[in-house]
Order: sequence, then structure tokens, then C-alpha cells
Amino acid sequence: MLRRVVLIETIAILVLPLFIACARPSATPQAGKQGGTLVIGFYQEPATLNIALATQTVCSEVLEFMNDALVGINPQGEYVPQLAKELPTVQNGGISPDGLTITYHLRDDVTWSDGQPCTCDDWKFTWEVQMNPQSGVRSTAGWRDLSAVECPDPQTIVFKFTKYYAPHLQTVGGAWPFPRHATGDPAKMQEWAYNRAPVGNGPFRFVEWAAGDHISVVRNEYYHLWKSESKPYLDQVIMKFIPSREVGKQLIKTGEIDVLWDLVEADIPDFENLAGVVLSASPDTGSERLILNLRNPEIDAPCAARLRKEGLWHWALGDLRVRQAIRYGIDKKLINDKLLYSKATLGTAEINIGWAKPNIPVSEYNPDKARQLLEEAGWKDTDGDGTRECQGCLYAEKGRKLRLKIQTTSGNKLREQCEQVLVEMMKNIGIEFYIENVPSAELFAPFASGGFRAHGRFDIVMYTSSFGPDPQSQIDNYYGSWNVPCADNKGQGYNFHRWISDEADNWIKIAGESPDLDKRKEAYQRISEEVDKDVPAIYLYNRLELNAYRDALQGWVANNWQSMGWNSDGWWLKKK
Amino acid sequence: MTRYLIRRVLQAIPLLLLISICVFALIELSPLDPMSMYENNPDISPEDIIRLREKLGIDQPVYVRYGKWLSKVLRGDWGTSHVTWRPALQEIKELLPNTIYLMGTSFLATLLLAIPLGLISALKQYSLLDYLVTAFALMWRSIPIFWFGLILIIVFHVTLKNPFSGMPLFPGGGMYDVRHKGLVGYNIILDYAHHLALPLLMLTLFSAARYMRFMRSSMLEVIHQDYIRTARAKGLVERLVLYRHAMKNAAIPLATIIALDLPLLFSGALYTETIFSWPGMGRLFFSSAERADYAVLMAIVMFNALLIVFFQLVADIAYAYLDPRIRFR
Repeated sequence: MLRRVVLIETIAILVLPLFIACARPSATPQAGKQGGTLVIGFYQEPATLNIALATQTVCSEVLEFMNDALVGINPQGEYVPQLAKELPTVQNGGISPDGLTITYHLRDDVTWSDGQPCTCDDWKFTWEVQMNPQSGVRSTAGWRDLSAVECPDPQTIVFKFTKYYAPHLQTVGGAWPFPRHATGDPAKMQEWAYNRAPVGNGPFRFVEWAAGDHISVVRNEYYHLWKSESKPYLDQVIMKFIPSREVGKQLIKTGEIDVLWDLVEADIPDFENLAGVVLSASPDTGSERLILNLRNPEIDAPCAARLRKEGLWHWALGDLRVRQAIRYGIDKKLINDKLLYSKATLGTAEINIGWAKPNIPVSEYNPDKARQLLEEAGWKDTDGDGTRECQGCLYAEKGRKLRLKIQTTSGNKLREQCEQVLVEMMKNIGIEFYIENVPSAELFAPFASGGFRAHGRFDIVMYTSSFGPDPQSQIDNYYGSWNVPCADNKGQGYNFHRWISDEADNWIKIAGESPDLDKRKEAYQRISEEVDKDVPAIYLYNRLELNAYRDALQGWVANNWQSMGWNSDGWWLKKK
Repeated sequence: MTRYLIRRVLQAIPLLLLISICVFALIELSPLDPMSMYENNPDISPEDIIRLREKLGIDQPVYVRYGKWLSKVLRGDWGTSHVTWRPALQEIKELLPNTIYLMGTSFLATLLLAIPLGLISALKQYSLLDYLVTAFALMWRSIPIFWFGLILIIVFHVTLKNPFSGMPLFPGGGMYDVRHKGLVGYNIILDYAHHLALPLLMLTLFSAARYMRFMRSSMLEVIHQDYIRTARAKGLVERLVLYRHAMKNAAIPLATIIALDLPLLFSGALYTETIFSWPGMGRLFFSSAERADYAVLMAIVMFNALLIVFFQLVADIAYAYLDPRIRFR
């Protein structure tokens, strides 16, 4: 659920210079009609409207209507100036040659929704908030690498970094600033009145928050595009909290709401041939995968150093041939056709869209080959019950059945159906998958509270993970050997497969330190090839980003890299 | 009487303490972790998690946290939600009026519907009307409430249209029309009533079914008593027999049930509020449980426990008042 919150913070500045050449305006200019109220249905209510405290995606979805950052991202994944006059580059002097000093020139007409000017001092204040140990911010990523924010004049913002690392730099440029005058003492951030009634610099101004019911915003007449381009076109946007997607589907049919946020693939048939409603579908950075535990699930969270020495292989999944056989046994196309209405793309690698997407073919579906590999690996069905036993396999005792536990979040229809299909496919090659689903809070429980995924106490888990425009932190977290969560690294990282590859480690470092985009692309290609070869994870399909809106709404442009309302200043309503 | 009251209040203290310990332990035992919402966010490092755990105080052992919670509550501080960072009491205060509005009207409607129908069906036992009322009550005791709520939405919101405006006959949720509230031509009373109709119908039918059964059996029991026969035998008008002798006695068990149901006015209806997007206590409870927001959860549960203890006392007093055979000692 955190994707959007994360996204805004993980835009990569290093690749900016390379994108400028192809930068284009964020939306096609179109004369919109003024006026009207738009009602958006959200099946979650934000806990807070303070982005630094927020943990739900819905918080940034709501805040997007009220805030702008220095830079934004367009649907093509290119960076565009938003409140900055231009993107800082080495060529225009915005980035110092050593990459440690980044200078932004703020537009002259940026104003807070209460009429106060929005200046460099507000970004300086935002940094002070992020770094105040009392403030309770959820993450200090990026900001903690700043040594100073300097304001030579109100329109010039100079960020001084202590080290050079791509995604960290952009964390700052893509962040929404806090207004110094309308907030309070950073040490008491959790008590700010701002958290329930924010003052922003975006197209809409906060009006009210009726707890449990709605948040409403109206046109911000201080918005910098209001005088020049008469934007935003809409008078008012109401964000209505509805109990569920199911209820939301009924409400959008009758027009009680105009937009329905965040649908899932299983909802697609409900919207086909539904008059008056448009389903906006575009590929997302999320990919549904099986994480295979390579190590002995009975040992609690072994560290990478110990794994290098002792191996501690999983009794079945520790053998590459078993992992390959599972992959050969999965018909990804069937899953897409039967469960996703052929709307998704098939999974190949962690990076599934965007500039860094590697070239990896879809794995072959070949049950015969799977069976052959299992035979070779010493897994044979001697008693004829349909499930193979260990007869000379690598790591299990003789006679052990090839029964593997598969787990995902309970209550998710698509995942449960997918599990059923997988169970059948595995049965076909003589492997028994048994299902033991858990609530998402339990599956995703962190290391510190004993989460079984983080502690390596599983066979196979299935879920989706997504990344931001810069894939570095995702790749590093999932595949760096230093990110095997264990006591040594305080449970850091998402290398739940406990996969260790010196080759991949090396390329991850190159990708993180290299300012050259082509070099980084090559590094991601190499890492993905290693993963594809060694099968610590099986990518099933890529998720879709799905939202629905009534056809009276004009100017909608899907943008996976930002929140739904990224171009809400250009939205308008066609009168019927 | 006073001594009885004092004794009852004193008895309530260990009971409430026990409830608080049980609930605290249950939340502690649940697999939910307040920090799990930060998982899967690559920007949150283990250091961040440790810092937040300390800030929330959840790094301490459970008895220390319970002790802290208790000492704060005794001073009137119900703690702060770790999700919204607002006082738990504030969260409750905002939603409580909405719940009282919904539950109060449905409670009244229930009594107005159930008492007469229950009485009639008892007096005309085995008549067609009795069979109809009994069948109706049984039906509503057996239908799952959430299913019925969705059917109401499909029929009255999605399918049926207002023939004049072409809009859905009834709104599909919420307390009022967010789009038109405050605009010219907006009628606040009509709009609130329009939004109240479906959830009210849903709640009332279900609780009326229950009350009807109570009223019927209680009245049946009374009218077969000797003193009613005596009253009739001495030639009293049937109307007086019923109103003065039968109904007053039949009302005794009902009064107890009403008093015991009163806490529901404050705790809300989870399914109804969820299905009809009603911003009330039931939804707050559900969402707090989902995010392991234990300050709010504890406040809601203890608030309800307090009300139940209180209304039980009220029920006992009402019972004694209505039934002269019972006296406090």
C-alpha cells in the first residue's frame, strides 16, 4: 500500500540530465470548461494528511490534489519541472560536477493556499523537520544525507549533500514541502493542526475533513497556474470514503461517485460494457512473484556470512533443478488468460517497465522437462501416489515427500485462485503444494516482531512488490547479499530467498554508483540474468494499475509514476 | 438503596480491571503488529523502525505498557492513536454523535414497530396475523444482515430510479449528500432523512424481529396467569385487563432487555455502518482493529464495558421499580 508514498520519494536525479532531451509538457494542452464538483471514492480513509507521518498510499493520493513538488514525472517516466523553473543538470549548473550540490530555481509565482509566498525557506524547514529526532517522521531517506539547505535568495534552493547516490538526491526534489508559517515546532509534529487541515501549494485548497465520511478541497485561487492558465478547471473535489470496492462499483454505476480509485484485475469484467464508465488500465511496476526459500526453514534467520560457509540449503528448494522444475511446470499464460482476462503482461524480472527494464524472455512452460529435471534431482514417485519422494536427492532424507507450503495474504480472491491453479500445475509434475494463507499484516510483519517471511521460516510465499522510477533500492533490497535479513544487519532488507550471488552483488554496486545511464542499464540486465538463471524467485505476472471514472470527466491521463490526481489541475467535466 | 448502589459500583471496579487486562492481552496476542504497515517500504530502515517503536513505547514488555496505560487512564488520558497521532478520545468524540443518531432512531423505530406487533400476535395467538408476524420475525432472525444490506443497495440504489429525476431512488451510503450540501436548494432535513432510510430499515427490521418475539412470549406468559383469569372473572373490561394488568407485567422482562441493549446506541452497528458508509463507531472499531491501533481499541472497548456495567445496574433498578416483589438489600 505504500507504493505511492515511496514513489514520490525515489525519483532518481542522476538520470535527470539524460531525460531532459526528451522532456515534454506534462499534459496535452486542451481548453477545459470551468466549474463543477468531482466526487472520488476511496475505500480507505487517510490516517493523517501529513506526508511525513503517512503510511498508506491513500494519504499521498489525497495530498496530490493539494501539493506540488519541485519536479514531477510524466506518464512516459520522464522528469519534468513542476515548481522549479527547469530541471537542474550539470550543463545548466544546477548540479555541481561532483554531484554534491544541487541548485533549484523556484518559479516566482509559487504561493501557499493561504496566500503566503512559498519560498526556499519552506524547503529548508522541511529538511529541519525530517532531521528532528523528536518529529517522528517515518523515514529520513535522502534527507539524512544532506548537510545543509541554503537559501541565497527566496527563489533559489541549494541542497548540499554529503555523499553521492542517485535515488537519495531525488528524494528531495520530488518531495512536497511543509509551510513553515502554517505548521509548528518540528519536535511536536505529531500534534500539528496541519495534519488534519494542511496548507499546500497545489491546485486545490483544503476545506474540511468530516471524519469517516469525506475530505473536500476547492480551487486554490493562489495556485500558480490559476492566473496564467485558469487551472484548475474544477471548482471542487470531494474525496468520499466508501466501505469497499464492491460498494464503490455500485456507486460509480449510479453516478454517486465519479471516480473509483484502485481496482484490481478481478474487477475488470464488471466494467466491460458498462455504459458511462471508463476503466483506466496501465501496466504497473508491481509484479506478483513466488519467493522461493533457498535455505533451511527450520533455522531462524541465518546471516549471509554463515550461509556462505555452511550452505544450510532448503531440503528441496536448495537444489536448482527443483526450482527450475517448478518454473517449467507453471503456465504463466494460462494464469493470465484465465484469471486476469489476458489484460496483464507475463512476469520475467523484477524491473518490468521503464527505462531500466532488462531483456529477459518469458520462462518456458514445459511439464515434460520439469518431470525430467525432478527425476535427475532424485525426486521419484516410487509408491505411485502422485507425489514424488526423495530417492537420492541432494538435501532431504530418503523417502521424504515433495510437499511444499505456499503462503500468501488471506482474503485476496485473485491470489487464492492463482494458488489453486498452481497447486494443479504442480500436481501435474508430481509436486504437492499445500496452501496456508495468513493475514497480510502477518505475512509482511517486520523482522523485529518475528515475521516469518523475514526470519526465513517458509517454503514459498507469493505477493506483489513494486518499485519507483529508480529501481536501485528495490534491486538492492531484494538481491544484495547484505540484505539477507538477520541479526547482523538488524533485520534489514528483503532478500527473503536468502540468495547469495557475488556476480549480482558486484553489478548492484555498479548500478548504484554509476552516473552513466547505459552502464546502469547494463548492470540491471546482468543482475536480472543472474536471477533468471538461478531462480530464487518466479515472476508470474505484472500487475495493472486500474481506476475507473465516469465519462463526463475529461483530461484524465494514467500515470503509473505518480498519484492518480497528478494532473488534476487539467481535469474538467463535460456537461451532458 | 444507597448501600446497594455503592456495593454495585464497588463490584464493577474489579470487573472493569479484569476486562481491561483481558482485552489488552488479546490485542497483545494477536499477530498484528503496529509496525507492519511500515514493512515493504524500502525507505524505512530498521533504524527508523527501532526509533518509531521507542517513540510509541511498544519496545517495552507488556506489563509495563499495561501499567502505563492504566495509570494514564486513571488520570483521564486515554492515550494517542499511533496511526492518526490524535488522542483516542478525540477520535471517538467525532464519530459518537453519528452513531447515536443512527442507533437512536432505529431503536425508537424498533420499539414502535415491535411492541404493538408483538402484543397483537400474542393476543391473537394462532391467528393469520400471528403467523405472519412470527414468520416475519423468524425470517429476519435467519437472514445474514450484511447480505440484506447489499440487497437493499442493489434494489433501492442501483435498480430503482426516481421517476422524476432519474436519479437512484435512495442514496447508496453516507449521512448526507456531499455534492450538494450547503448549495442553494439544499434541504438538510430531507437529505438526512433520505440517507437514513435504508440503514434505518436494515437495522430496524433485524432488531424488531427480536423484540417482537420477546414481546409475544412475555405477553403470552402473562395472559395465562391466574391473576388475569381472576381479573376477567370478576368482570373487568377486557381493555383494562390488558392495559392495567397484563401489559404492565409483560413489560418487566422487556425493560431489562431494553436496558441491556442501550449500550448498542453508543457502540454502533459494524455491518450496517460498513455497508452504508456511515461514519460511526462500528467502523472506527473495525478500522482500529485492522491497524492494531491499540489506544483507540482499548478506549472503545472500555467505554462499552463501562456502559454495559452501567446499564446493567439501570436494568436492575428498573426491574425493582416495575416489580414490587423485588427489593434491594
